Amino acid sequence: MNFLLRTLSLSYVRRHLMKTMLTLLGVVVGVATFSAIRSAQGTLVKGIRSTVDRVAGKAHLQITMAGGVPEEVQEKVRALPGIRAISPVIEQIVVPERGELGSLMVIGIDLLGDREMREYGFEGEDADLDDPLLFLAQPDSAIFTRDFAQRAGLKTGDTLPVRVPTGVRRVAARGLLSPKGFAEAFGGNLMVVDVYAAQELFGRGRRFDRIDVRLAEGTTVAQGTATLAKALGPAYRVETPDRRGKQMEQTVNNFVAGFNITSGFALSIGTFLIFNAFNVAVNRRRRDIGTLRALGATPRQVQSLFLMEALVIGLIGGAVGCLAGGAIAEGFLKMMGQTTDTIYGVTSSGGSVRFPPGIILESVLLGIVASLIGAWNPALAASRISPTEAFAKGAFQAKIAANQAPRIAAGVVALDCAILMALFPPYAGNPLILSIMALGGVGMVLLVGPLSRLILRLLAPLLMGLSPVAGRLCSDALLGAPRRTSGTVMAMAFSLTFVFGLGGYMGSMTATMVKWMDDVLTSDLYVRASANWSRPDFLFPGTLRQELLKVPGVRAVESVRTIRPFYQGHQIVISSFEVGPVMKRIKYEYFSGNEQSIVQGVGRQGMCFVSENFCGRFNLGVGQSVELMTPTGPVRFPIAAVVRDYGSDQGAIYMDRNTYLRHWQDDRVDIFDVSVAAGADVGQVRNLMRAKLAGKMPALISTRQEFIAEIKKAIDAFHALTRVTVFLALVVAFLGIVTSLLISVAERTREIGVLKALGAIPSQIVRSVVVEALVISLVAVIVAIPAGNLFAAFMEGAVARFYTGWSMPHEYPWEIMAQLLVTLPFVSTLAACIPARQAARLKITEAIEYE
Amino acid sequence: MLRLQNVVKTYGGKSAVTALAGIDLTVTGGEMVAIMGPSGSGKSTLLNLLGGLDVPTSGSILVAGTDLADKGEKERSMFRRTTISYIFQAYHLMPTLKVSQNVALPLHLAGESSAEVSRRVAQALKDVGLEGRSSHLPDELSGGERQRVAIARALVTGAPLLLADEPTGNLDTARGEEILNLLRAIHRERGTTIAMVTHDHHAASACDRLIRLRDGRVEGDGPVAGGGR
Repeated sequence: MNFLLRTLSLSYVRRHLMKTMLTLLGVVVGVATFSAIRSAQGTLVKGIRSTVDRVAGKAHLQITMAGGVPEEVQEKVRALPGIRAISPVIEQIVVPERGELGSLMVIGIDLLGDREMREYGFEGEDADLDDPLLFLAQPDSAIFTRDFAQRAGLKTGDTLPVRVPTGVRRVAARGLLSPKGFAEAFGGNLMVVDVYAAQELFGRGRRFDRIDVRLAEGTTVAQGTATLAKALGPAYRVETPDRRGKQMEQTVNNFVAGFNITSGFALSIGTFLIFNAFNVAVNRRRRDIGTLRALGATPRQVQSLFLMEALVIGLIGGAVGCLAGGAIAEGFLKMMGQTTDTIYGVTSSGGSVRFPPGIILESVLLGIVASLIGAWNPALAASRISPTEAFAKGAFQAKIAANQAPRIAAGVVALDCAILMALFPPYAGNPLILSIMALGGVGMVLLVGPLSRLILRLLAPLLMGLSPVAGRLCSDALLGAPRRTSGTVMAMAFSLTFVFGLGGYMGSMTATMVKWMDDVLTSDLYVRASANWSRPDFLFPGTLRQELLKVPGVRAVESVRTIRPFYQGHQIVISSFEVGPVMKRIKYEYFSGNEQSIVQGVGRQGMCFVSENFCGRFNLGVGQSVELMTPTGPVRFPIAAVVRDYGSDQGAIYMDRNTYLRHWQDDRVDIFDVSVAAGADVGQVRNLMRAKLAGKMPALISTRQEFIAEIKKAIDAFHALTRVTVFLALVVAFLGIVTSLLISVAERTREIGVLKALGAIPSQIVRSVVVEALVISLVAVIVAIPAGNLFAAFMEGAVARFYTGWSMPHEYPWEIMAQLLVTLPFVSTLAACIPARQAARLKITEAIEYE
Repeated sequence: MLRLQNVVKTYGGKSAVTALAGIDLTVTGGEMVAIMGPSGSGKSTLLNLLGGLDVPTSGSILVAGTDLADKGEKERSMFRRTTISYIFQAYHLMPTLKVSQNVALPLHLAGESSAEVSRRVAQALKDVGLEGRSSHLPDELSGGERQRVAIARALVTGAPLLLADEPTGNLDTARGEEILNLLRAIHRERGTTIAMVTHDHHAASACDRLIRLRDGRVEGDGPVAGGGR
C-alpha cells in the first residue's frame, strides 16, 4: 500500500496538482472555520471564567442582586459570624481615548479593605501605595498593570484619557501592578479605582455590583453560603466565583452554540468537496484501477488506496486548516466578544485567541474524518469497478441506477418525516432538532441528484434556444455525466439551503422585532445613559424625570427600569414603567388578557404581565402568579396578561413602576421615554434636553427612528453568523465549480478537439464552459430555494421555540437571495475562467489523441 | 491448466446478449494457444473469464485445478497474483510510474519485500531487453518497448498462465514480430502456458494450437499449420 501511495497516488497528485490543491482547499476551509470558531469560543468562555476567577482573588463567595447590592448590605454582612473580610466591587468596561490600547476593565474596590481579598503585588517605587489613604485623597487616582502601562507608555504620575459615561476623564496612574494573579485578569487591561469614585463615575447610586466575601478559617463555603442566604434573603444571590463564572458562561452559551452550526456546516462542505473530487478521481483513474485489479489487487486494496489518499489529504488539510484557523480566529473572537458584551452584558478578557493542543488535535482529526467520510463512497465504488468494465472502450461514467424510484421514494419519505416531526413534535429539545436535521439532510442527499437531473433536462431546450452551440455543448456535458457535477450541485445546494434557512430565520427575527418595536416603541425621544443594552454603564436617578418634564416642549416622560435576575435558572428580564400612560400609546398583541386587564391589574393592583416565551418556558399564564425574590422578600405577582414580546429570549415580566419601587426600592432609571407636546419640534426638544444634562450626567438622546435603528444594529450582530455562512457558501460554489469544470474539460478533451477540428472557435468553447458553470449554480439555486424555505420554517418554528420560546411568522430571505443571485453568477463565471482557458487552449492534434 | 465446461456468459437484463453460448475447452500446461474469431465472437469475454476478471453466467472454469466460477472477487484477485498474468493490446501501463515501478506493481500488491522486488524486476527487465530503460516513463518509450514492459510485468510474478489480448494489435509488423518472438521464447524457456486472443493470422501462427470462435461457440480447434514456427 505504501508503494502504491508513494508512486501511483503521488504521481496522480503531481499530474493534477491544481485539482488536488482545490480538494485540499475544501478541507482547509472546513477545518480553518471549525478550528477558528472552536478556539474563539474556547478563548471567549475561558476569558469569561478567567476574568471572574482572577478578579475574585481570595473571595470564597460573591453576593449579587438584580439591580445592584445596596451599600448598607456590607455592614450587615460584615457583622455575620464566619466572615473574615468583605469588599464591595464595581466592574465596568471603558475605552481609552487611544483605541489601539483596547478596552479596559475598570475594577472599583475599597482599597482600605481589599488587601484581604486580592494580592496587588506593588513593588519598588509603588511601595507607597501601601498607604491607600494617599491614593484615596486624589479622586483621579487609578492603578494600572505594568503590562498595560508599558504598552500605553505610562509612568507613575502620568495621566491617561478614558471615555466614561460622563465624557472623557483623565485618570492618573498612582501605582502599577505586577503581572500576577489579579493583574492578569482581562488580559492585563485593568484599571483599579476607588469603589466610591466608581459609583459616581458609572451612576451606580448607592449600590455596588457585588460584594466579595472571604470566609474565616474553619468556615466552610456551604456554611458561609447558608449564613449569608439566611441573613440576606432570597433576593440576593450568594455563590462561589466559580459558579458565577459558569452562570455567565451559560448565559452566552446559546449564542456561542450558534457558531457550532456554522463550523459543522463548514466541515460538511469540505466533506462534499472531497466526495466530489474523489468521485471524479475514480472516474478518471478507472483504467489504472482496472489494471491494478487485473494484476491481482483485491477490491479492499483498491478501496484502501483511495482511503489512504483521503487520509493524507485530511491530515495535510487539517494541519494547514489549523494554521489558517489561527489566522482568522481573532476575527471570530472579536465578533463573538462584541455580541456577548452588547447583548448579554458578559465580558471576556481581552486576550488573544488561545489555540490549545486539544483543539488542534480535534481539528486535524475532524479534517481526517471529514475527508474519509467524503472519500468513502467513491472509494467503495472504485473497489467495485470490475477490470472488464474499466477496460471497456469509450466514455465511462460511474453508473447511476436505472431505476431511481426507490431512491426518490426514500428521499421523499425522509423529508416528509422531517416535516411531520417539525409540525407534530413527538419529543422536544436538541434530540428533536437533531432528528429533524438528520432526516432532512438524508432526504436532500437522496433527492438532490434526481431533482437536478430533472431540472437539467427541463433547462436543456431553453439553453439550446438561447445559445445553439454553447447551450448544446453545456447541456450535453451536464446530462452526459451527471456524476461529475452531482457532488458540486449537492454541496452548493446544501450550502445555499443553509444560507437561505439561516438568512430566513435571521430575516424573520429582524422583521418580527421591527414590527414589535413599531408597536411598542412609540415615544418621540429616548434618553439613555448607556449604549450597552444589558449592562448599562450608568443609571439615571429617578428624580431626573421631574427635571425632564420641565424641558419646554416635553409632554410626558416615563421611566423604564430593567433588571435581569435569575428565575428558575434562567436569566429573565423584569421591566417596570408607568403602565397607565405607557399603555395609552403602545399596542400589544395579546395571547391572553387585554389592554384593560393590564391597565387595571398591572397599573392599579400590583399585578404583572408576561411575554409569550415566559409563559411557555415556565408554564405560567393568566390566573396564575409568578413568585419573584425581591429585596423585601419573596412576592407573588398575579399574571394579568400574556403578550407577544421580544424583550428577552429567556422570558420577560412587566410591572408598574410603583410596584417595582415598592418591592425593589430602586428608583434608578435605564431609559426615559419622552413624548413631545403637539406642535413641538423633536429636534429642538432634544437639543434643550442635551443642554440641560450637559456636564451633569451622560445622556444618549435618540429619536424613535434612531433608537429603533440602534436596536436593529444590536440584532444585526447576530447576522455575523449569516455573513460567515454566505461567505462559506460562495467558497463552496467557487471550489466546487472549478473542480467540476476542470474535470469536465479534461474528460471532454477529445470531444473539444473534435469540435475545434470541425470549426468551433475558442470563444464558443469558453462560452460553453462558462454556461456550464452558470447552469450548475442555477440548478443548485433552484433546488435550494424550496429546501431553504423549509429549513427557514424549521428554524423559525422548532429551533426558535426551543431556544427562545418566541413564535415568529415565516419570512423568506429575499434580501439574501437577491444578494446571492447577483454574486453567484460572478463567482461562477470567475470559477469557470481557468477551465475555460484550458479548454480554449487545447491543441487539436493532441486533443483528438487524448484518452 | 485450463478446463472449461459448458461456459455460458450473457450480458444485460431484458435484452440480454449471449457472449459465450456453452464453451467446452481444455488447454494443457505448457501449450501456446491462439484464440481467433470475428468481432463479437466472444474472444475477449473468454479471455476475461479465463483470467478471473469476470465470472461465467453458468458452467465451470478450472484454472490450474481451481474453479474460478465459485470464487469471490477477493479470492480471484489473490489467485491472479500467483497464477495468471496479463498482456493487453493497449499495454495498460501506469502512465505516471517509471518502467521499473510498473513492473514492480504486482509484486508490491502481493506484499513482496523490497529486496526481492528489486531483484525480480531487474531480472524481468533483462529478460525483455529493457535493462537500460528502467527509469523511463511509458510516454518516453516506443509501442514495442511499452509492450515489452507489459510482458516484463507479466513475467515478474512467475505465473504459469499468461493471457494476452491482441498483444501485437497496436504495433507495426517488425515490432509485432519482436513481441511474438519474445512470447515464444518465454513459452519455450519457462514452459508458461499462453492463451493469446488475436485477429492476426501471422500472430496466431506463432502458437501451437488455434481455437476459432464464432457467435460465442467454438467453431474450430486444432493445431496451427506450421505452428510454433
